[in-house]
Order: sequence, then structure tokens, then C-alpha cells
Amino acid sequence: MSARWPALASALRRAALLAAGVLVWELVARSGMFSPIIVPSVTRIAYQLWLLAIQPESVVEAWYSVFRALSGFALAAVVGVALGVLMGRSSLAAAFLGPLFSGTYPIPKIALFPIFIYLFGIGSLSKVVLIFLECLYPIVVTTHAGSRAVNRVLLWSAANMGASRTRILWKVVVPAAAPFIFAGLRIALPIAMIVVIITEMISSADGLGYLAMYALASFKTDRMLAVVVVIALLGLALDWLVARLRDRLVFWERLDAYYAE
Amino acid sequence: MAARSPQRSDAPRPSRGGPRDSARVIGVGLFLAMLGLWQLATRFEHPEFILSPIEIAGHVVEALRSGELLAHIGASLVRALPGFVLGSLVGVMLGLLAGVARSLDQLLSPVVFLTYPVPKIVFLPIVMLWMGIGDPSKIVIIALACFYPCFINAYYGARRTPTIMVWTSLNMGARRSQIFRKVVIPSSLPLVFAGLRVSLALSFILLFSTEMINARSGLGFLIRQSESSLRFDLMYVAIVAIAALGYASDQLLLLVRRRILVWQEATSR
Repeated sequence: MSARWPALASALRRAALLAAGVLVWELVARSGMFSPIIVPSVTRIAYQLWLLAIQPESVVEAWYSVFRALSGFALAAVVGVALGVLMGRSSLAAAFLGPLFSGTYPIPKIALFPIFIYLFGIGSLSKVVLIFLECLYPIVVTTHAGSRAVNRVLLWSAANMGASRTRILWKVVVPAAAPFIFAGLRIALPIAMIVVIITEMISSADGLGYLAMYALASFKTDRMLAVVVVIALLGLALDWLVARLRDRLVFWERLDAYYAE
Repeated sequence: MAARSPQRSDAPRPSRGGPRDSARVIGVGLFLAMLGLWQLATRFEHPEFILSPIEIAGHVVEALRSGELLAHIGASLVRALPGFVLGSLVGVMLGLLAGVARSLDQLLSPVVFLTYPVPKIVFLPIVMLWMGIGDPSKIVIIALACFYPCFINAYYGARRTPTIMVWTSLNMGARRSQIFRKVVIPSSLPLVFAGLRVSLALSFILLFSTEMINARSGLGFLIRQSESSLRFDLMYVAIVAIAALGYASDQLLLLVRRRILVWQEATSR
């Protein structure tokens, strides 16, 4: 996308849009049309953000959420890439795992959360398992597609030069599938954030999702919106990290796709 | 495109039946084997929140017969369907338009791509505050979540339209609106459907989480209520209903996709 637009113009446009949005919000809040509980002013939200940043206990809550999201995500990345490559390179694995994944793909895994609570307790484990399960599917699907789409000529020439199967896997298949793998990771990461916030809203006594619901229940709208801003910033930051990692590792392919086919 | 497709699509179907059929047999076999294992495992000592498949099936039949389950399914669908339709319709339309019109692209895309990684469920408390805790707030959140994958896929789909095709139709004197309808939309349909599928899955996730957070009806509410009152039978009934609904709606979408994208089915895989 940014190949066509100069990066600076794009950044300026974003900043201008953001500033306009903030300005409109502040004007609406100051106009007195709505109660400050419904639309708190930007300055009050900013003050609550400042409080969130300096209170050690709220930083701990954020850490809980990030820790849960990232551990489920990392687990799904490791298992998902392994399964996807296996399915892409072995017809036996594809014959057994393929139907399993395509059959359970459309089932909303979140419905299993109550069972997970009974199985793994109400703490972090049940949430991490659910995040793992929800993130696993997009990663497996994209990795599978990527490792099937490896250029045959590359495989043949590697085999011709006497590379062993494991060597071909590491030096040819995984790099060739890397753009697909990162597309899957970028789909899975927002899902991890969604699921961690949802599960914390539903049943938790810690984490940012809980903090938002608690602030709402006590009619501290400004504080709730501050938490929302923190969650949004975390989502953006994590996505930015994955995108930079991708640019580092998959430097040969510039086209960055956000979509899954 | 429906008119010219039959003779092209009919040919490859029989030849492709073989591997897909065997995959289906393996899938069903695996499913039955897992159910059998589960049934066997429940014969041994197990915690009371794990029911055997046969018990669950009995409870599902019972709940269907009493009509209690249907009322909850209806309540859930009334929330999910309008949300999904609204969000995906707006998403696909704006995405396609942003893909072809540069001014709209520069206005919309930065906002959409910037807010894409933000988990949309965080807006639930705000929307609840503005629109009440009834159905409208749930529908808005579901629509918001469905908007993003549809917009992004339609956007890339429209931008991926082969330039040669646009040139060719321009050369043959097609108007802009004609090119949009006859070239851009068909060529972006595969990606649009991929986006719709992601949105459908998301709409279920958001439906059940919003219902778990606050609702007086619906399958998410049923799960939450039965979980907290230790009615494990009802909990499993609700989970089975959600799984069946999710599966059925996905299959329906794939069916529609096969109908509309006959030409793509013939060339892919």
C-alpha cells in the first residue's frame, strides 16, 4: 500500500484524521448536549489514561492481558506452523488432519469456554487454551496453503544437489511458506486480542477486559474509555511488531497481505 | 456470468469427486471415532461436568421437543443476522469503492487499516452506554466486527483486478459503471467471499460473547445461565446448538459461493 503513497503523506493524513476525530469528540462533549457520563471529554479521558499509566496495579492488569494473549498466540504459532508444514508436505498427514480442521473450522470455539473453565480453572489457563485454539486455525490454514505452493523446481534442484529431507524442509519449504505464515500470524494476532478481552469481560477478576467492565459498572465512563484506548494501542503495537518482524524475515517479498484466501 | 457458466463448470466436477469424497469419508470416520472414544472414556471415573455423547444427544432432543431451545436460537439469530448482513454489506460496498476510487481510498483506508488490529469487542461497553443493553447494541458491535474483514478483502479484491481486463473493456467502449459491475465485481468476488467467511465466524464469536456479557435470551445467555446453575445438560445443549449453527451457516455460505463462483471452482485446486 505504502509503495504507491509516500510514507510521509500517509502518516500526515492519518494524524490529521485522528486530530479531527479528537476535536469533534471534544466539541460534542463540551457542547453540553450529552451528560459527561455518556460522552466524557477528551481531557478527562486523557487524565484517566495518565492515571492508568502511573498506577502500578493497572500496569499489572495490562501485563496479565498481554501475557495471556501472547502465550496463547505463541503456542498456536509453534503448533500451527508445524502442523501446517506437515500437512503441506505429507499427504498422509493432510488426509487425516485436513478433514479435521476443515470440519471444525466453522464451529465457534468460544462456546467451549465454559467447559474450559471447569477443566482448566477460572485463571489464565482456560483463557490461554481458548486463545490457542482460536489462533490455531488461521495459522494452520495459511501455512498449509503456503507449504503446498512451494515452487517444485526449487524442491527438485535441492534434492538434485543432495539435500536431505530435513534440509529441504528448513532451507526451501519454510522460507517459501514464510509470507503465507506471516499472513496467518497477522490474522491470528487480532483474534488473540479479541478473545483475551472477551474472556476477561465474561469471567475474570483481572486483566484489561475486566478493568473496562468494572469501570463501566461503576459509571466511570472516562476511565472505561481510557482502558479502551490502552487496549487499542496494545493491539496496534503488537500488530506493528509482527509486521516489522515480517519485514525483517521475509525481506524478499514486499507485498504485504492482510487478507486470507 | 450465471448464463455462460454451465457448460464450463459441469465438466470438471465428476473428476474432482474422488479425492473430495475420500476426504469426507475420512473426516466423518475420524469424527465418529472421536465420539466413540469419548463415549468409552465416560464409562470410567470422570468429573460430573463431562457428559457422554449419547447423554448429550438425548438432552438435545429433549430441549428441541420442549421448544425452549428454539426460542433461544431465534433470539440469537435475530441479533447475529442483521449484524452480519449490515456489517458485511457496508464493508463490501465501501471496500470495492475504495478499491477503485482514489479519493475514497485516501479518506477511508487509513482509518480502516489503523483501527483494524483493535479488538472491536472493546467498544461494547461504549455502545451499551449509548444504545442501551438491548439488541441494538449487540447488532452494532457484530456489524462493526463484520465490517473489517469484508472491507479489507473487497478492497484488495478490487485493487487486484487485472489491469488488462479493465483496459480491454475500456477499449471496447464500456462505461465506468459497466466496468465496475462487469469486471471489478466478478474479479474480486473470490476474495469477497473469503472475507464474508471470516466475518461470519467473527459474528458468531461476538454474538455469543455479547450474550454472555449481558442478555436475557439467546444461546450465549443459555450457556452462561446453565453454567452458573450447574445445569451441565443445558450447557452442552447450547454448545451443540452453537456448533451446529456455526457449521450450518458456513456450509450455506460455501454453497452460495459454489453457485456464484462456478468459474473459480473449476480452476482452483
